[in-house]
Order: sequence, then structure tokens, then C-alpha cells
Amino acid sequence: MPEIRVTPLGAGQDVGRSCILVSIAGKNVMLDCGMHMGFNDDRRFPDFSYITRNGRLTDFLDCVIISHFHLDHCGALPYFSEMVGYDGPIYMTHPTQAICPILLEDYRKIAVDKKGEANFFTSQMIKDCMKKVVAVHLHQTVQVDDELEIKAYYAGHVLGAAMFQIKVGSESVVYTGDYNMTPDRHLGAAWIDKCRPNLLITESTYATTIRDSKRCRERDFLKKVHEAVERGGKVLIPVFALGRAQELCILLETFWERMNLKAPIYFSTGLTEKANHYYKLFITWTNQKIRKTFVQRNMFEFKHIKAFDRAFADNPGPMVVFATPGMLHAGQSLQIFRKWAGNEKNMVIMPGYCVQGTVGHKILSGQRKLEMEGRQVLEVKMQVEYMSFSAHADAKGIMQLVGQAEPESVLLVHGEAKKMEFLKQKIEQEFRVNCYMPANGETVTLPTSPSIPVGISLGLLKREMAQGLLPDAKKPRLLHGTLIMKDSNFRLVSSEQALKELGLAEHQLRFTCRVHLHDPRKEQETAMRVYSHLKSVLKDHCVQHLPDGSVTVESILIQAAAHSEDPGTKVLLVSWTYQDEELGSYLTSLLKKGLPQASS
Amino acid sequence: MDPECSQLLPALCAVLADPRQPVADDTCLEKLLDWFKTITKAGSSLLLLQENPCLVELLCHVLKPQDLSSRVLSFSLRLAGVFAAQEDCFQYLQGELLPRLFGEPGPLGGAAWTAPSVRSGWIQGLRSLAQHPSALHFLADCGAVDTIFSLQGDSSLFVASAAGQLLVHILGLSMQGLAEGHPSLQAGDWPVCAQKIVGHIEESLHSTAVPQITQALNVLTTTFGHCHDPWTQVLWVRLSPLVGSLLEKDPVPAAHSLVDLLLSVARSPGLSSSSCGLWETLAQTLNHLSPTQAGPLALGILKLQDCPQVLRAQAFVILLQPLACVLKATGQDPGPSDVLDSATGDSLTVDALLSSKAACVGLLCRTLAHLELLQPLPQRPCPWPQEPLLGAAVTLLQLCRGSASPASDVGRHLCALLLGCVRVQRAALDFLGTLSQETGPWKGRVGSFFMSVSGPQELVTEVFAVLLEYLRSPDSSPTVLKKAFQATFRWLLSSPKTPGCCDLEPHALLVLRELLPVLQKRLCSPCWEVRDSGLEFLTQMTRHWGGQAGFRHALLASEVPKLTEQLLRDPESYVRASAVTVMGQLSSQGLHVTPVSPEHPGGQQKSLLVELLHILSTDSEGFPRRAVMQVFTQWLRDHHADVAGDTEQFMARVLQVASQDLDWEVRAQGLELALVFLEQTLGQFHSHCPYAVTPPVAAPAGPLAQALQPLCRVRLFEFAFRALFDCDRPVAQKSCDLLLFLRAKTASSSGSLQESRSGPDVASVEAALQRWQAGDQGQPLGDLEPEVVLAVLRSVDLEGLRGALAEGSDHMEKSPQSLLQDMLATVGVLGENEADCY
Repeated sequence: MPEIRVTPLGAGQDVGRSCILVSIAGKNVMLDCGMHMGFNDDRRFPDFSYITRNGRLTDFLDCVIISHFHLDHCGALPYFSEMVGYDGPIYMTHPTQAICPILLEDYRKIAVDKKGEANFFTSQMIKDCMKKVVAVHLHQTVQVDDELEIKAYYAGHVLGAAMFQIKVGSESVVYTGDYNMTPDRHLGAAWIDKCRPNLLITESTYATTIRDSKRCRERDFLKKVHEAVERGGKVLIPVFALGRAQELCILLETFWERMNLKAPIYFSTGLTEKANHYYKLFITWTNQKIRKTFVQRNMFEFKHIKAFDRAFADNPGPMVVFATPGMLHAGQSLQIFRKWAGNEKNMVIMPGYCVQGTVGHKILSGQRKLEMEGRQVLEVKMQVEYMSFSAHADAKGIMQLVGQAEPESVLLVHGEAKKMEFLKQKIEQEFRVNCYMPANGETVTLPTSPSIPVGISLGLLKREMAQGLLPDAKKPRLLHGTLIMKDSNFRLVSSEQALKELGLAEHQLRFTCRVHLHDPRKEQETAMRVYSHLKSVLKDHCVQHLPDGSVTVESILIQAAAHSEDPGTKVLLVSWTYQDEELGSYLTSLLKKGLPQASS
Repeated sequence: MDPECSQLLPALCAVLADPRQPVADDTCLEKLLDWFKTITKAGSSLLLLQENPCLVELLCHVLKPQDLSSRVLSFSLRLAGVFAAQEDCFQYLQGELLPRLFGEPGPLGGAAWTAPSVRSGWIQGLRSLAQHPSALHFLADCGAVDTIFSLQGDSSLFVASAAGQLLVHILGLSMQGLAEGHPSLQAGDWPVCAQKIVGHIEESLHSTAVPQITQALNVLTTTFGHCHDPWTQVLWVRLSPLVGSLLEKDPVPAAHSLVDLLLSVARSPGLSSSSCGLWETLAQTLNHLSPTQAGPLALGILKLQDCPQVLRAQAFVILLQPLACVLKATGQDPGPSDVLDSATGDSLTVDALLSSKAACVGLLCRTLAHLELLQPLPQRPCPWPQEPLLGAAVTLLQLCRGSASPASDVGRHLCALLLGCVRVQRAALDFLGTLSQETGPWKGRVGSFFMSVSGPQELVTEVFAVLLEYLRSPDSSPTVLKKAFQATFRWLLSSPKTPGCCDLEPHALLVLRELLPVLQKRLCSPCWEVRDSGLEFLTQMTRHWGGQAGFRHALLASEVPKLTEQLLRDPESYVRASAVTVMGQLSSQGLHVTPVSPEHPGGQQKSLLVELLHILSTDSEGFPRRAVMQVFTQWLRDHHADVAGDTEQFMARVLQVASQDLDWEVRAQGLELALVFLEQTLGQFHSHCPYAVTPPVAAPAGPLAQALQPLCRVRLFEFAFRALFDCDRPVAQKSCDLLLFLRAKTASSSGSLQESRSGPDVASVEAALQRWQAGDQGQPLGDLEPEVVLAVLRSVDLEGLRGALAEGSDHMEKSPQSLLQDMLATVGVLGENEADCY
């Protein structure tokens, strides 16, 4: 029985470390290869030992697909390809391939900062891994091999994020990665055609949430920054190198322009140029507004936002600084935080989630006295704000996507179990499809009934048409012929043609059946009775009584014989060719009912 | 446990036991468990529970019927297991708690059991707990072993795998008492748990259900892999007939697991020597399995240290069969080797190869990978059929390109299947590269290939021809090209050398002349991956033959150096970085030739220095800047002419730029460069004659101050002192090491210096250090005097700083106290952000 199997190694009923194994028509595909920011040991990566036990990775896996550049989707990739030993193809979009190394370097820096170089991928490994990538365009069908093909669709979320359709023959799976169904300041909304996959694997981060308008959040953000700057405070926004940072930059740049504000905005670690470069390079991936205005002015060439120098942190007066890393793990953002934390006029805005074990997590959970090295205590007097700018589809958006793609089944990943449960019911009710939510390590198996295309020979079709029966897609009907399976193709041809093509001699095969009739008369009389009966019942057929006493109806031959033990019973020997199988079985059942009494 | 944590623990336990309080972060419970494992490893669990009764209360509480999260329940099961690993603590908990947690009345029978995390927690709890005889009784009494049997087939891979591991552990533990003597074959004499497990394995091996057979085989594989006690021999003697009977089925069930088991047994020293027909079973298995399944077994057999020669020969024939088929199908003589000759006739392999493209590609890739693994091993078969293997690899590459024209039907079919197949191309190129590393008798013969005109020389010529074909082909994918470059380099490297000369051999030089125009073309590829692979290839070649006349002449006659220089301005930063590395190397070898221009009257190398400095100061990406720093460090080490001309000016300029760099690795490499300069400067100071053996005497102060002067002039110390408090820990560590090295070097001259009158004094430097530590940047210090530097070096607690830096930047945040505080702090503040990852 053909089937699709899905096993999440990560992102099964949780968020972080996305890694989903899909087996479809004998092909094995890994969807995303992410890491978990919350761990510093081996647990940060998915447990690949469950794949390596199947033999060599490169033999087992047909390809790896990365949906976008966020580390929970690609952070384990260099480890997987350069340290675990996968040497096969990796697919991602062009922007993802370009931006991935920046994020991976960012992550490497945090890891090395914490633990040193021990058991971690190097910069060279990141490069070697990126060189194995095959970059794809949107809506381009890419043949991984003769049977497996993939196609990318726009997912919004971040620059270059894509949903992927994986197809083998008539079976297909769509994996959404992270997506956003509403356009934002710099990206458009996710879109997919009515591709009717056997399975849609969708993220479900906001499975139960209907998110408020992003405009409100943006207004709130600007208001808070403005207030802090107006009172002479400094605002720190810890961010990851690329992604949300650029969205917030556009927001502030526009606001500064409109309000004619003078306080400087800085962006650390030279990322403005980098962001510029990538957004310019991949302008077609941004939303329509940006593409339009790009003709007059590049939205990412900021007038107010300047590169940050470490010495600026000491400057008096208000300022806004974007600094990495995003969770106040270490490095520059943490250094600036420590410097500014003691002043209540200042503000830190966390635009995303922070894992436990970071200063960001501590201040978000309300801790205001942080223990530092040497028993020093840092008192956090600055204002701490959390503003979620993550661009995931909410419950409404997820339902919308399911409606767009019209899948046969849905599988939820990248979310919390309880919330998934709610969404699962909703999807099952509304779309009348099965919805699954496997935990990590759990395998969901979906039986599929693949439609196998069969070519019909012209000769056979002509013969059918000669009988006045034109093919009609809405009225399926039986067609007799010989099925030839050759070179992975199926063809239905007439038996004569098959014999000719295959160089075979014809053997006639007849089906036979014995029907016992209670009739004490002689065999010839019984045969005559059978002839009369059939002649009266089968008016459209040619019924003949042959000189040797046997009766024929088309190719069907009926002979009457005496029963060896019971003289009161006659045995009717019925035989027919396969071409008349229907008529043969009809006749047999007719004779089994006995002959009409009237003629006796 | 420290008092602060003890104080926080009751509140945390209360939170965990409260179903209304969701746990914020799924990593917290894992980390909490890690912490308890550390504590119990170091001390008594019983004492811990007695001192912190809240822990037992938590364990009791989770058993109450309530809507508790499966995560907390799973955590509690694992925690109970961690405590009960110590026998006295096990007794303490055994009365009521453990049976309720792990027995029928517990989660096992409840709705929570549907959550895989709870089943996983249950297994992991038992795995921790099963450490002593009392635990074994408990397992037998509470019926846990039967549950573990059923969990082997769990829908969760994690649970199923852990269940198998747990059975292995229990079996080992229960047999531990018997490990001293030789247990009897009679199961009745074995401990209860062991009897049960072995009985289950026997039953599974009898079964017709493949999953059950697989589970049993996996348990045995792990057992024999981990434990070599005498009882394992008895177990194998008992089970080997059953395992052998699997071979009588057609097809052989669970072939992959069976192969693993047999190899595990063969690797076990006690088992392989026992007389239960292992070698016969292995031989029989090789015959029964399909070519695809038999490959890993054949490789495993050939890797064994002690194994009958006949079996090895059989395994090698099986391993070689697919390649022998390829050779035969393409009308090539498998060669004089008996092994390959006997490998050709297998129709099963031909069928497998031709059945479908996927099967053909899979079998060939596996075979090539297996042979690649085998080739460098000392125990690989001898004689090694190098020539036919080379022929097969070359043929495969030709088939994939369509450049082979086989006469036979099978050959044509193969050609159709493999045409354009990137997977086989990659595997064959890797294998071809490995074949260049031939050692032993063949190596000696390779030399003669280049010189003689017959046979093998043609083969090597063919190797280079096919490699060049791939490098030239516009159809080669970037990954294939990279591998082709790598294989080419390995073959060039393996070409024989004239004694006393390490230049390329004439034939290889001919190849090189053909290669350089190809490389030239590839350096202009629109694909950055290809340009980069080309540059990496050039780096490798220059590193090896940069000093050799033949290579130099060929390279300089080509356009390659000029193109490389142009790639310094490539749009892709990775390519710029590789170009920087190559240019640095070419310049070191005197291979960078540009006409002297009026703008750079100093000569051609000056212009490269200026160009690299420009990259260091202006490139927006870190990779090229890092590469520049590496080149500069190498140049300084090698006393590169350009650097040696005015080292101080060079150092001052580079350090000034590197210290301001936003990339931490550039700053760290700046310190590396500083260290080389420091060693060179102080090296001169310490021993004027490199061959003089000088006793460690106190250095006179005057020369020391003189020796430090150049370091002061290039402002090395301000960079190093500032870097001590760099926000990126690796930079601070590097600086700390550098200053400690300097202090050790100058320690002997302490006290003999006088402070100077000009420049900042010790106090102002120390004040600056304090400011930097506080995160302020402040103004540059200006010119420091050696005396001040030495005084500051003595006053700064560098050892203390090194200790603090060694802790890792997150050591405060990852302390147990911090973890408990974080978990408590998140109570009630969980909002929108709980799953808002990125």
C-alpha cells in the first residue's frame, strides 16, 4: 500500500529546532534543519542518530529543503552537512542562501562566546555547506531526480521565505515553513495555488490567536520610542542580524522623517550596508509598495539610521540603537544594556522571544536585579518593553491557506500541543479532512491511492469508438485490453497488438464451469431445452444449436452430459473466453436458476 | 545544594505541581533535571530529599488526578528515577511512591499515557532507576518489563528506541551477578528479568512480524556491542540457531538489522572466537542477501581484524560485483585480478543494476562509498585491484557524461540510466580522489606509469582526461566541479617526484598546462560557488608547488594570477575572501606580477598591500577582512619583503584598523598578529644568536625598554589593554593570553625600570582600564612608554581576568540559582510571547 510518512525530529508539538522527515513514494526528504537556542549542548540540534541508523545519510536522504533563514529552521545545517556527513543536495531560495551565512555566523559567534570552539562548526564549514546549496526561484519546478520534484511558493514571513511543494508522481506534500498571510511593511502575503496536495504540513505558532492589526502594534512601538527619546532617554533594540531589524528600521526611518526628529538612530555591526545589499539584490521578494517606491528611492537606504561606533554609547542625549544579538545573550547588545540599565529614562524594547538563560528572558519575566560577575548586582531601572513583531499566520491565516491549497489531509507542526489541538478540531470540522499533530519522534502514516496514468493505444480507442462509445470523463466504463508495463510506462493495447509487440504466440484460455440440472431426460433433450430457454431470454445475442448437440452463445459453449452417479441429473459444461467473461458469468448464473417449468 | 537554591526550591515545586501555572520554556525542565543529576552524582539523594521535603511532595502531587501538563509529569517520572538510582533512596521511595509512579496505578493506566513525552519520561525514569538489585526486583514485581516490551513498538521513534535500550540495560544489570562465572545454557538458572527478556527475544525471533524481529535483533546488537562478559557468549550460543533460521526465509526479514547484529557479534572478541558457526552464518548471509543489502555486510567483514581468508574473499567479491558489472558491460577486461574476474558473473547484481534508475544509482553510490572507506584501511584486501577500480571509476564518470559508447545492451542500458546523474558523479569523483592515495606496491608502480608507455600510464592519462572533461564541461554542477577540483589536486599531489626535487613530474606539468586555461574559465563562472572552488584549488596548488619552477612558469604564463586579482573585487564576499588568500600566497611566492605603475613607484607588491589594507578598512563583509588579517599574519611570520621593509609602519596601520573592526574575529586576528610581532621583537631582544644556548638570567632593563619601544610605537598595548574588556569574550581571552605571555617574558626584569615623564602615567592608564571595564570608550591613550606598560602589566590581575573569561559569557545566566529564579519569575507573566520564536 503506498503511503506518505511524516516524522518530526523537531517542531513536533513545539517551537524551535524544526526538522521534519517526509517519506513520499520511496523518496526521503528532510524539511528544515534547525537548532534550539535554549540549549548549549548536543540538544540544540535535532537527534540525527534516528536517520543515520538507516545507513549512509547521503544514500538515505534524497534532499534537504530549507524554508527560510531563521536559525530554528537552518541553524543545524552546517553541523548536519559538514559534521554528521550529509553530502547530498540542499535546496533553498536565492535570498535564503545569501542571508543564511550571516545568521549562522551570528549564531557561531554566540556559541563560541559561551563555550569556545569545542564541537562546533567553523566559518569554513558554513561556507562549504552553502556551496552545496542549489538555489531555487519561486514557482520554478526543480527536478531533484527523475521522479522527485519540488516547487517554491512565496511565504512572506522574512525575506526569501518559501513554502515548498514536494511531488513524486501524482503524490504531493506541501510544507509551509513559517508564513504570514498578511503583508507587512516590507514583505507581501503568502500565496499558494490550488495544488490539492495529499498532505499540507503547516506551522501553527498562532494556532489559537487572531492577531490584532499590525498597525496598532507599530503605532504602539513608535509611541514608546518617541516618548523615551523626548524625555532624553536612550532606546536599545536588541535584534538578530537580519530580518525583523530591517522592518523596524523602515518604521523608524519613516517616522523620523515625518516627525522631523533629530535624535540619532544607530545600527550596530555594519548591518545597514548588508541589509541594503540584500534587499536591493532581492527587491522582487519584497512587497509591492517597496518595489514601486524603489524607483524613486530605495527604502533601505536610510537617511536617519547610521552605523554605530562603540564610543557613541557614551554620548550624552537621546538616541536609538539597534544592536546584536537579539536576546541579550552576550556581545554588544548586552554591553550597551549594562551601561544604560541603571537610568530610568532609558528603554529596552525586545522585539522577539527570548530563551531561558539569557538576560533578555530575565528582564522580560520582570526581574529587575540581575546578578553579574563577582557578585555584582545590576539594577535594571530602565523601562523594559516587549513588542512582538514576529510575522506568523494567525488562526485565520492558517485556515485561509488550508482553503487555498485544498489538501486531502493537514499536519500541524511548529506550535504548542494545546493550541494545536484546538486548531486541529477547527480544521477537521470546517474542511472535513483529517488533521494530525505528531509529537517529536512520532510517525504519521497516510495511505495514498496514487493515480497511475495509463496510455491507451489508438487502435483500441478506435475500436471502442467504432462501437459508438465515445470516451466521456464523467462516465467511467470498462475497457478490455492488455496492460503493458515497460520503461516505467503503462499502456493499454488490444491483445492482438500486445502479442505483436511482445512477439508472443496466442494461447486461448477458456473459463469453464459445471452447472447441475435436475432433468431425467436425455442429454440431447436437455440441450434443446437450454437452447430454447436461452433463445427466449437472450434476444440480442446469437444463440445457436449445433449439430453435435451443443449450444453456443457468442463464444460461449454449452454441452449437456449425464451425471455419472445420478441419472436424474444432467451436468451442463459451460465454457467461454475471457472476452465474453461478463456474458459467461451471466449465463452461468441464469442456468443455475434452472430451466423454466413450462417447457418440461 | 547551596542555600539560595534550597530557599527557592519549595516555591518552584509548588509552581510545578499547580496545573494552572504553565511552564514557560520547554528547556527549563531539561536544565532542572540536569542540575539534579549533577547534585545526585556528587552526593546523597536521600539526604537531598530529606533536606528538601518539597521534592517528595511534588512527586506525590503529580499522581493526583488533575489536569497536569504532560511535560511536568514526564519530568517528575525522570526525576524520581534520578533519585531512586541510589539504593537507599530507592528504599526510601519504594514504599508507595515508586509503584504508583511506575506501576499500573500510575500514569501508565491513565489518559496521560497517550502523550509520548510521558511514555518517554516513564522509560527514562526506569532507565535511571535500574542501577541496583532492588530495582530489578521492583521491575519484575510491578510488571514494568512487559510494558517495556510493548513500548518497543511505540509510535514514537524516541520511545521505541529508548525501550530497546532499557531492555539491554536491564538484561546487562540482571546478568551482572553471573558475570564472574560461566552461566549455564538453561534459562531456568538465569535471573527472572533476564529469563523474561531472553524469552521475549526468542519469541520475537520466531515471529513472522518483521517489526518484532527487528526489535529483537536491535536489542541483541546493542547488547553484544556494549557488553563482552562471558554470559553474552552463552546467550549467543543459545540464540544463534534462531538467528540463523531467519536466513531460511525468503526474503530474509529485517536484513538491515540482521547485518548489524552479525557484525556486532563478529566484532565482539569473545563471541567471534566461540565455536557456533559465526563465519558460516556470515558466509550464508552474504549469499542470501540482495546486492544492496549485502554491501554493508561485506564492508563490515572486510573491516574485521581476524576473519577467515575465504570469507574475506567472498565479501570482497560481493563488494566489487557492481563495478565488475560496469566494466563487463562496457566491454572492458576486469583485468588480471582474480577477485574482480570472479565478481563479474552475478546475474542478481546485473538485475539490481538494471531494474530501475533509483536502484542502479543507489547500488553504485553505496559501492563506491564502501570502497572509499575500505581503501585507506590497513586490513583492506591484498592484492588491491587498483587498476580495475580506477577503470571502473573512470568508466562510471564517462557513462554519466555520455562520453562512453558501450557496445553491449547492458552497457547501453547503463548509459541511459546514468546519463547526467549527479549523485553517481559525486560519488565516483570522491572515490577517484581516494584512489590517488594509493600506498603499498601500487604506489611504486604509479611512478612507472608516467614513464612507461603502456597499460597503466594510459589509465592515469585517462583519469586526468576524464577529470579535465568534467572541469571543462558546462553541464557540471557546482558541487560536481568542486569534487572534480579536489580529485584533480589529489592526483597531481600523488604524481611521482624525482628524488631530491619536489617539482611536478613532466606528465603532471603537461596536465597542469591543460588545466590552467580551464581554471581560468572557471574563475569567470557566473556561479560564485564555482569561482570559489577554483580559487580554493589554486590556493592548494600554490601552497604545494608555489616554489617550483615548472609550476611557476606555467602559472605565470597564464591569465590566472590576473583574474585572481580581479576577484578581489568580486560581488560575493566568500569569493573575495578566497581571492585575498590566494593573492597573499601568490605574493609570498613571488608569483604576483603586475607592472609597476606610476601611482605605486614602490613596486608591484606594494600595490597589493595597499589593496589588502583597503579591503580591511572598507569591505562591508567580515570574511574578506578576516582573510586579509590571516594573510598579514602569515606575511609577518614569513618576513615578507613588503612587510619587512617597514614593519612598524605596517603594524601600526593594520592594528589601528583591526582594533576598530566590528567583526570579533578580525579583532582576535589583530591580536594574533600582535602576538607574532611581539614574539619577533622580544625574540631579538632575548637571543641575538638563534643557536646560542643562554641561561635564564635577568634581562637588563635598558635593552628591555628598547625592545618594547617598537611595540609602544605601533600602539599595540592600547589595543591589547582595550581588548581585555572587549564585549566579545574570545577577543578578551586572546588579549589576556597575549599580555600574560608578555609579562612572563619580561618578568625577570621587574623593578629595574623607571617611569618616564612623557605620555600617560601608570595611574592614568589604570584609570582608563577601569573606564573600559565599565564599558566606557573614552579618548585614545596616546603614546605609552615601556616602563608604564610594564608597571600596568604587573598591577592588572590578568590571572583573575583569565579565570573569569574561562567561565563562558553565560555562566551567570546558566547557574542553577538563575534557572530557578527565571522559572519562578515567568509565573503569571506568560503572554503572547510564549511561543513567539523569531
